[in-house]
Amino acid sequence: MEFEAVIGLEIHVELNCTTKMFCDCPNRPGDDPNVNTCPTCLWFPGAMPRFSQEALEKASILCLGLSAELQPLSAFDQKVYYYPDLPKGFQLSQAHFPLACGGGIDITNEDGKTKRLRLHHIHMEEDVAKLVHEMEGRLPISLVDFNRAGSPLVEIVTEPDFRTPYEAMEFLKALRTQVRYVGSSECSMENGTMRVDANISIRPSGTNQMNTKVEVKNMNSIRHVGDAIAHEISRQSACMQAGETIILHTRLWDPDKKLTLPMRTKFEGPCVPDPKVPVIKLSPDWIEKMRSRLPEMPAARAERFVKQHGLTDEEANFLSSDPEVARFFEALIGQGIAPRTAMHWLITQLIPAVKDRQLDLSSSPVTPARFASLLRMLSQDEINANAAREVLVYLFDSDESPKKIVVARGFQQVSDPKALDGLIDKVLTAQPETVAKVRGGQDKAMGFLIGQVMKAAGGKANPKIIRELLVKKLSEIL
Amino acid sequence: MDSIFFYRNLEIVAPKDGHLQGVKIAIQPNISVAGWPTEAGSKALLNFKAIEDATIVQRLRQAGAFVCGSTHMSEFGFGLAGSKAGEALRRQAADVELVLDLMGESRLAALHAAACGFKPSYGLVSQFGLIGLIPSMECCGLLSRNLKNIREILQTIAGPDELDFSIPDEEIPNFSPQEIDPQKTTIGFITEPQNELSNDKEAIFRYSVDELKKAGFSLREMSLPDFSLFSLVHKIVGSVEASSCAGRYDSVRYGPRALGTKNWNDMYLLSRGAAFGLLLKSYLFQGAFFQFENYGAYENACRIRARLLTDMQLLLSQADFLVFPIDNGATSGASELLADTYNQFASTVFANVTGQPALYLPPVSGAAHLGFQLAGPRLSDARLLAVGEYLLNMRNGGK
Repeated sequence: MEFEAVIGLEIHVELNCTTKMFCDCPNRPGDDPNVNTCPTCLWFPGAMPRFSQEALEKASILCLGLSAELQPLSAFDQKVYYYPDLPKGFQLSQAHFPLACGGGIDITNEDGKTKRLRLHHIHMEEDVAKLVHEMEGRLPISLVDFNRAGSPLVEIVTEPDFRTPYEAMEFLKALRTQVRYVGSSECSMENGTMRVDANISIRPSGTNQMNTKVEVKNMNSIRHVGDAIAHEISRQSACMQAGETIILHTRLWDPDKKLTLPMRTKFEGPCVPDPKVPVIKLSPDWIEKMRSRLPEMPAARAERFVKQHGLTDEEANFLSSDPEVARFFEALIGQGIAPRTAMHWLITQLIPAVKDRQLDLSSSPVTPARFASLLRMLSQDEINANAAREVLVYLFDSDESPKKIVVARGFQQVSDPKALDGLIDKVLTAQPETVAKVRGGQDKAMGFLIGQVMKAAGGKANPKIIRELLVKKLSEIL
Repeated sequence: MDSIFFYRNLEIVAPKDGHLQGVKIAIQPNISVAGWPTEAGSKALLNFKAIEDATIVQRLRQAGAFVCGSTHMSEFGFGLAGSKAGEALRRQAADVELVLDLMGESRLAALHAAACGFKPSYGLVSQFGLIGLIPSMECCGLLSRNLKNIREILQTIAGPDELDFSIPDEEIPNFSPQEIDPQKTTIGFITEPQNELSNDKEAIFRYSVDELKKAGFSLREMSLPDFSLFSLVHKIVGSVEASSCAGRYDSVRYGPRALGTKNWNDMYLLSRGAAFGLLLKSYLFQGAFFQFENYGAYENACRIRARLLTDMQLLLSQADFLVFPIDNGATSGASELLADTYNQFASTVFANVTGQPALYLPPVSGAAHLGFQLAGPRLSDARLLAVGEYLLNMRNGGK
């Protein structure tokens, strides 16, 4: 029997707020253990949660960025469970009235077709403390770090629209791009700012059955999500073939062994409304204010790049997938650089150079203005491409203008025929065989001659002029 | 005094300026005062010393009041078993007592102390630094021999607090003295609560209604057929909230943490088992039952609560205030049984379910009756106290 999978995802995204969700402690989980704590996030008796406006704004913009509909009324509940990472005994989460409903992301699936993957809802919740398991000699001990306790999270719950691991991975990549775009989170699975649980069930292909699902946790990269889902589909299919019943439970992905293993589940019950956190009421005006803060989303931006700047779909998608890259590109266009030149030099030269130096585009000393002035010299034939690449290196180490660097270090392109004449004669004398090949109509040989002249000119000659002069000289000698 | 006080403030403080200068206030150990043991009557918080002052403590001190200590309280203020609420007034060790009111504790304690007891509107007074059990029902009640004290203290502690976001954005009542014209004030009395009284107690209640009539108020008989549901709703909603919220009292950091257990699950079970008293345990079990085994009943109770709130609002659109009997039930205090506790508070619990203000006035001294409760709409606290003051003045021979 052929089986197909029905997959839904639950994605926790940690918002990059300056403070925690219910107190003023810094939201920096990576600091030394337990430095960012107060009576509220340590859940001392008598402490009161004070809901952060920033968390509400960042969460709301995230929802709008995923086309979800913000609800006029949402509220926090107490999700009860006992575990040392939650000494309060309950987690504040929006179980009954979530912040937003609906929404979705379009992806291109394996068949090259556009597929809409819908969201069920998005709700806010506080993160719990982090448990660190260590050995003290031969005694296993567990330590609790409360830096993360109370960090603001949103949980994005999808509809069970996914059928393949590929769709899940494409969805997560697109989700990550869009959330980064709106600036609410870094969404890194490797750093734990995005955590994904997958609910997977299988059914005979072509039926509408909804069978018992299994939840899989503990994947820390998008690739692992794909691998874990693929493994779970084949595991469940084998169970079905063998006539075993699938029972509702949770499994952990083991990235080393590349398989899922059953885990003990936490005891969880229905949630009770929390009377201390006020109900959140969003007015249409406020929602519109948030919407006005929304940047142009990647899909819309890519489409515009194709139309306005004549880029290919692939180029436009690449440029618009990272908001910083897109902003940089548009700044170059604003400085009068031709779109193709800007695109090409940004993708092939600047981005790799910035990465090599472990910088970001926004923090690198090569600002759009400086990079544009370099590219302008290139397009006006003041320097050649070789020189431009070398000047770029200097731009990282000095704050002088590209023009000054070019002049001071003699990178100007030599375009004066008189200066090149002597060099060309020398090369022609030294390479009689190649000259013969050119005359025999071999174009490659011409390239070799140009290269030799360029080498003699210390890389600074204008290749167009060299070619013109060579063509002229070779025809004269004939 | 050790039999009354859980902790005594032995500082010798020079009287401070402020309109509460010289007023001695006894609190309960569920109200945080930095450095004071704040165990809220439970072993689960054994050795817990508060880190910060509760907002009400900070405001009282700023107004010149002297917080003289905390009195023994029942576990998390639930019921009056083990509580000494009212004793500090009776023994003249304090002018005012602050008593956590979950189901009417401050009003019943006032009855025992023959003092006035007031439960303010829900959301009027900051809960920051207050340890409780049923967040949507409880608030800090006040006991005093005179209502001026209560009025002035409310003026000091009521209103918005940047540390308590749960206070609704509403206009705070003005607690300065105000005139009451009894002829223009209608007081409704509901027949159903009286049906639950024994014959002699009903006769006694009629006596209080007569006092209102004599004072010139116009009285109106009204009906609230579902009055008996207040108790039931409180029992279900209150116990579910308690069971969920009391999760934080896990006896791991404070209280009797179990040692030598195999794993942390056992440690939680044993520690919590050792932490709570019998009454509280049965309450938490009941709440856990409704939350995990019969959630539908909890949802129904929430719906009935909303309906009762509407019923009450309707009555208060036809009368300015309502008068209720008070009854301390068949058992008088120390029962550790849940059913007995709810019986004891059957006459007071309505105001905790609705969040409306309620005032207990003791009987005229020497009279045989038990006194009565007056209740008003939400945020009518100042007017309600003014009516009380008017009545007390009348007893003293008019203005």
